[in-house]
Amino acid sequence: MDETRTQRYRRHDLIDWFSQEQVAAASIAVIGAGAVGNEVVKNLVLLGVGEIDVFDFDVVELHNLTRSVLLREADAGRNKAAAVAERARELDPHVTVRSIAGDFWDTLSLGRLARYDCAISAVDNLEARLKLNQMCLIAGVDLVNVGLDSRWVTVESFPFGAAVGSACYECTLPDTAYARVAERYSCGGLRRRAQLERRIPTTVVTASIAGALAASTALRLGGGATPAQARRTLIDTISGLSSVVAIDRRDGCPGCAAFPDAPRVVRTRNRWAPRSESAADASLAELPLRLSDALITAYECTTCGPLSDATRYVNQRAAAFDDSIAICPTCAAPSVRVEIRDTFALGELMRRFGGSKVPVKFALAELDSGPICIDLEENPTP
Amino acid sequence: MTQPIKLYVRTADQTRRAELSLDPGSTGADIIQAAVDNWTLPADTDYTLVNTTTGRALAPGEDLAKAARPGDVLEVQPVLVAG
Repeated sequence: MDETRTQRYRRHDLIDWFSQEQVAAASIAVIGAGAVGNEVVKNLVLLGVGEIDVFDFDVVELHNLTRSVLLREADAGRNKAAAVAERARELDPHVTVRSIAGDFWDTLSLGRLARYDCAISAVDNLEARLKLNQMCLIAGVDLVNVGLDSRWVTVESFPFGAAVGSACYECTLPDTAYARVAERYSCGGLRRRAQLERRIPTTVVTASIAGALAASTALRLGGGATPAQARRTLIDTISGLSSVVAIDRRDGCPGCAAFPDAPRVVRTRNRWAPRSESAADASLAELPLRLSDALITAYECTTCGPLSDATRYVNQRAAAFDDSIAICPTCAAPSVRVEIRDTFALGELMRRFGGSKVPVKFALAELDSGPICIDLEENPTP
Repeated sequence: MTQPIKLYVRTADQTRRAELSLDPGSTGADIIQAAVDNWTLPADTDYTLVNTTTGRALAPGEDLAKAARPGDVLEVQPVLVAG
């Protein structure tokens, strides 16, 4: 370590439970560069974390500035991750801070995720939390989930990397949360156009407390309380009350019940086609695969019949479209039958795509040897 | 025949607290719904239940007769999704 670095961390060196070497060796993914993401990145940089990658698709708006310590008025209109990473590098030019603009579901591969020590969920909606939970569970990477409002802060740690069989984010999630997500979709997977977005106000007070605890939890500063146990800390920033509870794995959990052990991740080229008519291939053709993304499998008007623009939609991700496509372009009635599925037999998938790319992130299957995840991303980032 | 057990439920800010008699087969979801209804907690928020006596979060469908003992204090906590 050069003299400037040595001088910078002199005070840290006086803390007997703080290892600057361990912190410098850490690699952390921060998903979301909003209020919490700003605080988390600021803390990680000042602590001297070696590598930080910041993911966000959103752009800076002026109302973000009341709770985003790294952003300035001049950043309005810029990608949040890019602006946060640039300002963070000013805090310490020796720390590597990279920005990845775009939805993490599209820009963060399972292979890349597996190389981090921890992912911090600083996103602003339940669906993104569910997706990141699933990715971390499969990749076997510790997840720190951070949520807040104008008064409360929760920081949850799920040690997928440290403990086989850890509880996951969904183990305590109530049915009402899934119902709320389902309200945003129609036809089983198309986004509703007229869905009112609920905005939850927050302040820098809750964001800064959340960001501090998240950074400490992610780095297991002081060794962490019980690193192998999932747990949740809830803080009332008004009264100062706080509680810490253990989270146990739930029987039948929608998130992790399919993975009694961490699934084996297999990377493959995303071009599937039958190789032969062998008996082995024939038995594999029946293998059920659950895809990471639901696909549109049929698109036709119940009045007019098959539609000429069906090829625009069939075999595409349902999440890419809203429910306006259920209106028939010929008769203008809401009479289009849109069939959406996320589970296919391997043979059907091969016939449907015939060697072309399947537009999903991964596929899950249960083999005699245990669960596997087939990673289908061809362009790992960054 | 299983006897109802008595325990306590409170909000996370501890401003509301009630004693309740738990019927066999009651789940965390039942308690949460009763808390939302009786205490007019914000209906646009989701909640989870924790047993503060044992220091464990309760799964939504968990049988409370197995997850709680007489006198335990259950707390209704908000699910926070903003970031």
